[in-house]
Amino acid sequence: MASHHSTHGTTHKPEPITLSELRSEFSHHDPTIARLNNGSFGCCPSSIISAQQRHQLLFLRQPDYFYHNTLKPSILKSRRIIQALINADHVDEVSIVDNVTTAAAIVLQNYTWSFFSSSFQPGDAAIILHHSYSAVKKAVQVYISRAGGHVIEVPIPFPVKSDDEIILEFQNALKMAKLNGRKIRLALIDHITSMPSVIIPVKELVKMCRDEGVDRIFVDGAQAIGHVEIDVKDIGADFYTSNLSKWLFCPPSAAFLYCKMSDELSNMHHLVISNEYGNGLAMESGWVGTRDYSAQLVLPEVMEFVSRFEGGIEGIMSSNHEKVMEMADMLSEAWGTELGAPSEMCSSMVMVGMPACLGIKSNEDALKLRTHLRDCFGVEVRMYYRTPIEGEIDPVTGYTTKNLTIGDGS
Amino acid sequence: MDPPAEIEDPRAAANGENNHVSKKPKLSFITELEIRQEFAHHKPGIARINNGSFGSCPASIIAAQKRWQLRFLQQPDDFFFNHLQRKILHSRTIVKDLINADHVDEVSIVDNATTAAAIVLQHVGWAFADGRFQKGDAVVMLHCAFQAVKKSIEAYVTRAGGSVIVVHLPFPVNSNEEIIAEFRKGLARGKANGKKVRLAIIDHITSMPCVVIPARELVKICREEGVERVFVDAAHAIGSIHVDVKEIGADFYVSNLHKWFFCPPSVAFLYCRKSPLSPDLHHPVVSHEYGNGLAIESAWIGTRDYSSQLVVPDVLEFINRFEGGLEGIRKRNHDAVVEMGEMLAKAWGTNLGSPPEMCPSMVMIGLPSRMGVLSDEDALKLRTHLRDHFGLEVPIHFQMPRDGEIRAADGDGCITGYARISHQVYNTLDDYVRLRDAINQLLSDGVACKMLQRE
Repeated sequence: MASHHSTHGTTHKPEPITLSELRSEFSHHDPTIARLNNGSFGCCPSSIISAQQRHQLLFLRQPDYFYHNTLKPSILKSRRIIQALINADHVDEVSIVDNVTTAAAIVLQNYTWSFFSSSFQPGDAAIILHHSYSAVKKAVQVYISRAGGHVIEVPIPFPVKSDDEIILEFQNALKMAKLNGRKIRLALIDHITSMPSVIIPVKELVKMCRDEGVDRIFVDGAQAIGHVEIDVKDIGADFYTSNLSKWLFCPPSAAFLYCKMSDELSNMHHLVISNEYGNGLAMESGWVGTRDYSAQLVLPEVMEFVSRFEGGIEGIMSSNHEKVMEMADMLSEAWGTELGAPSEMCSSMVMVGMPACLGIKSNEDALKLRTHLRDCFGVEVRMYYRTPIEGEIDPVTGYTTKNLTIGDGS
Repeated sequence: MDPPAEIEDPRAAANGENNHVSKKPKLSFITELEIRQEFAHHKPGIARINNGSFGSCPASIIAAQKRWQLRFLQQPDDFFFNHLQRKILHSRTIVKDLINADHVDEVSIVDNATTAAAIVLQHVGWAFADGRFQKGDAVVMLHCAFQAVKKSIEAYVTRAGGSVIVVHLPFPVNSNEEIIAEFRKGLARGKANGKKVRLAIIDHITSMPCVVIPARELVKICREEGVERVFVDAAHAIGSIHVDVKEIGADFYVSNLHKWFFCPPSVAFLYCRKSPLSPDLHHPVVSHEYGNGLAIESAWIGTRDYSSQLVVPDVLEFINRFEGGLEGIRKRNHDAVVEMGEMLAKAWGTNLGSPPEMCPSMVMIGLPSRMGVLSDEDALKLRTHLRDHFGLEVPIHFQMPRDGEIRAADGDGCITGYARISHQVYNTLDDYVRLRDAINQLLSDGVACKMLQRE
């Protein structure tokens, strides 16, 4: 994965960032809050906010000129940077959209058309993980179930000890589908599940899907870019999406949707139709009516920012992971609890078991505790309630997600 | 910290009337200098007579928007859980009162009119696809509908097996009666073989060429002709003409707040009339709020920058700094643009595209026939040339003569090119004088469109 070698041709090496500069880049964060939840809404350094505002001002200064002369090449520049970051073959495969929620709707709507046009049969299936993001699950319900598709949910064990546990469950689900004579049209696999957060062995699952004749595979890597390595060719999925505003320092909000070159690609359309309809998803996504596209235009400045860190984006990723594991170990030791997954399945987010005496017995309890920690302790951290399996003794039902990113002094 | 959400009567507020909720006493209205400062970020040297395309946003609103952006970045979780929905509801409530809607549930905030069109048309597309509508049932649109809307009809209706009835309206036009008559004829013709018309999309102000359409009358005709639903695309309307959704009587009504209502890009409202038979519209981007109603769905479509939707209260305050509030701004813009239009028409020996009462804050002025605007490409070339060589931002329209009918001419031939001039509070006389002189310069140099370079 290309790291600090940006594709936009700058040859100077930027100044390494100092600790005080780093603090200054995030000085707009509420200083009274221990912000341990980068995974939900990400973060954006001041220098990128300024860059975004410069782009916004360019539009406001002379919008017609910006629209006719500046916008398209600027978006293309960002797309090329993403193409290099994710090792895609063609820049046409890379579209920029608002967020992963939008990307999911784009891919799934395509499937609704297929059901309606009878190229798919009622009962054809989509397979998703039980822990898929709830908004994506809803989109699957809306776009696939309502059109007559069947949805298979793969239970993912949690806490989890190894990739093999996940691979086995997925294998079983595929086998069952085959036994029931279902044609699987789409597999939707998370790269890093959100809640509970675990790195999924996507490459292996994609291969399994190919071997079992699944039509298409869509990897929801919402958390992934800037967080774990992404090589879309190596992963081998047909679609891959990730939010640029979570771990890649973009302002809210921007995401990329990678669609591997195929005949089908010309049938994929953005949901909001405008003048570029029919010119390819990437072009359609580049104009969805008058909008503020500035969050999509700051990729060059972001690449410059990350190159100021030792090891560039890879250095940031590994440093975050090391530190969050250290902190997670410290917490689990202090509380006498366990981690939700082993280190190699954790990214810059870790699930740490909460002491059972806290009595987290429902999703409401988890939310109450989260709110209480925010309001009374100034701690922003997500809480997860895990339903105990029947017969489980002394279940650990509460987990906190500890996120770490640079600048976290806590 | 932002002030508590005072829900006043924004219609009164927008017209500069005092109301019982205490406000700082207004000492004086906004001055010319302050207006210049508010728009000092516009590129100097450019005569910006195209507010209609991308709108404009005063500096104080940009600052307000930045404050909201920063609030989110400071503590996003707290903002999401405790503030965002409340603030969007405040904006929706203001809009509801501005447009005379009955319930705030009827008012959703979306990105722009293009998105609203996709919401309505996706619903229609699915109805065709799942058999609620029959293949061949029709959707009606105007010939001059906005290009994005035409494409949306192609993507969601034609693709799903629906048919399209296109109604041509005359241009240049002399009266509402001409439009009403043409629409009635066009609709009847389109329905001739017994097609069921599921949806009519009517512009309130057409974009190119720009004319205020008698929307209320056309909606009535649709009802009389058995059209199931009517969607009014009023992208330009709010802030440039009077908007009363109950009076207009459509099922769906959309307008952009960033064109003539001083919001930053981009924000629009989509009004969906509540009735026992009203269909369930959904936002195409499905998120946690799916099923809770379009307004609630639209208020959370994943992590986004919603700041442009939150400055509506600040915009109202800005508008109140003008004498007569929104009504005052509208009237002055209209009077000024008509005056400028007549000045240009006289200088060039041409005509306005419609009478003043059918012009909003924009006017179509015929270009001298010697300019030779004979195609869409010519129009674009001229527009680019005016931008690059004269620092003028003004869209040019090519009006294809229909059925050989010559509707406008000057001493040298048919008028087929029109400039669409806008007037917003930041415009000055000089902007339009420069346009006058630029065209005259080109003509005296013997330059016509066919000689202009391609982009």
